Amino acid sequence: MIMDIFEILSVVVGTFLSVSMFTTLYGKSNPLYSLAEESYIGFATALTVVVNIMYIYSTGIIGIQAGDWVLVFGIILGCMILFRIVPKYSYIAKIPIAICVGAQLGLALRTIVFTGFISQIQATVVPLFSGNSTTLLYNWTISISVITMLTFFFYTTELKGPLGWSAKIGEYIMYASFGGIFAQTFMGRLGLFTGFMQTYMTPQWKIPYLLGNLVLGFAIVIILDKTKLLKKLTPEE
Amino acid sequence: MTEQKKEKKSIFKILMEYDRRIIYLLIFILVLAPLLAPFSLPIEVSSTTQTYYDVINTLKPGDNVLVILALELSAYNELQGGLVASCRMFFEHEVNLCIVAATPEAVAIPSLVIDQLKDVMTEHHYVIGQNYIDLGYVLPNEPSVVALAQDFHSVVRQDASGKSIQGTFLDKVNTWKDWRLLSQYYSGASGGGSHVIQHFGLRGTPMIFDVIGATINTYMPYLNTGLVKALLGSTRGGAELEYLIGKPGSGLMAMNSFSIGTYFVLVLIILGNIGYYGYKYERKREGVSVNQNEVV
Repeated sequence: MIMDIFEILSVVVGTFLSVSMFTTLYGKSNPLYSLAEESYIGFATALTVVVNIMYIYSTGIIGIQAGDWVLVFGIILGCMILFRIVPKYSYIAKIPIAICVGAQLGLALRTIVFTGFISQIQATVVPLFSGNSTTLLYNWTISISVITMLTFFFYTTELKGPLGWSAKIGEYIMYASFGGIFAQTFMGRLGLFTGFMQTYMTPQWKIPYLLGNLVLGFAIVIILDKTKLLKKLTPEE
Repeated sequence: MTEQKKEKKSIFKILMEYDRRIIYLLIFILVLAPLLAPFSLPIEVSSTTQTYYDVINTLKPGDNVLVILALELSAYNELQGGLVASCRMFFEHEVNLCIVAATPEAVAIPSLVIDQLKDVMTEHHYVIGQNYIDLGYVLPNEPSVVALAQDFHSVVRQDASGKSIQGTFLDKVNTWKDWRLLSQYYSGASGGGSHVIQHFGLRGTPMIFDVIGATINTYMPYLNTGLVKALLGSTRGGAELEYLIGKPGSGLMAMNSFSIGTYFVLVLIILGNIGYYGYKYERKREGVSVNQNEVV
């Protein structure tokens, strides 16, 4: 019974806050949107703090207890970052930050050359005269796109003649790819929205809460707008 | 006055200037309707999803699989279908499954998935904490991912519930070599994706990704290079995987809304272009040039 009430409450609060977020689609700043936005920021920050503290405990403290004394240095460096909040000693925070940046750069440079550069070039070197028609079409498209788009980015020479034509083709291929990216992004956003609707519509007992909150949320915003209270009640950003 | 009236009546002008809130409302109705009254639209499985399915099917009982959840709760809505279907396949193949959350919000996701797969877990004798382990949050920055790849136990000592991981299948996991497959669910959250590719994929751990629609383009090149073995994209990919395994779930349920929403946007793009060019033509006939910004 308590579990049921808790579940219903979580659905009611969840749908109301989600609908409050959607009220931004009304086109005007409103108090419901601000409430939902700030609640989310508060929730996300608190969750991040708690999860990270637990992580420091489970990795650092437990590790030290297990005899891995090197981790003490990590804890000390972590504490040193907190000096950022004391202006007089804020320079101390720069030491662990410098170590982090250095370590991260060293690790990334070692591998990113392969994953982001060499492997990508290798992947564009494809057979152009063997394979089935689909593979051939795919491989030719990759090769032509890469070459023509690269010529578009030649800045040190004037793009005229064959080079100019190649750059022009590259430019149009880029437009086509931007269209593709837009379509993928739209698909992603629609997927997020559909997923949200589905989450709050299955099982079916959730539907009235979702629809009720949708009507309620938008009704509140419209009424506030019509009564000129919307601006007055919305916190300044 | 007469000219203004005439312009108001122009269908092209209406197509250009209608209230965008009408679009939001229509999208809302079009997404909601198929969920309220489900019906079936045909679905075709893409070659990328087929490859994803085939890669998982190469797993054998006892293989170690690492699942990385680099997504927030909002993206879980989109990737739910693919994630649940993949985990179902992992359980059916009786692999040793280890789940890691790479964002603070993702710590809530394993229980949401497991709740939907209790029957498969029971059927295949899964015991939480033995052949299925949820490690909770693990920092996804570069040094941490490197450490996971080179010396797993230097980063992870406990599971999400605070129990020691000693005595579990993770005793035999020390480096990247010990994972038979790494399966990442990615929304574009910081860390995650590229670090895992650099420190696991590049070394040779087979990797598969399930990503939200907005990041498919980012990871497609990694698929071409072979660093990522297979890519599942968005709700659509999840639905296709559910179709392949014959277990309809949230992905397939969402596909009707998804398809109708996409068709609707196609119609809007066509109408928008008709409005723009029609209006431009009308103004040209009246001897007035049209600035493109006028229609935005």
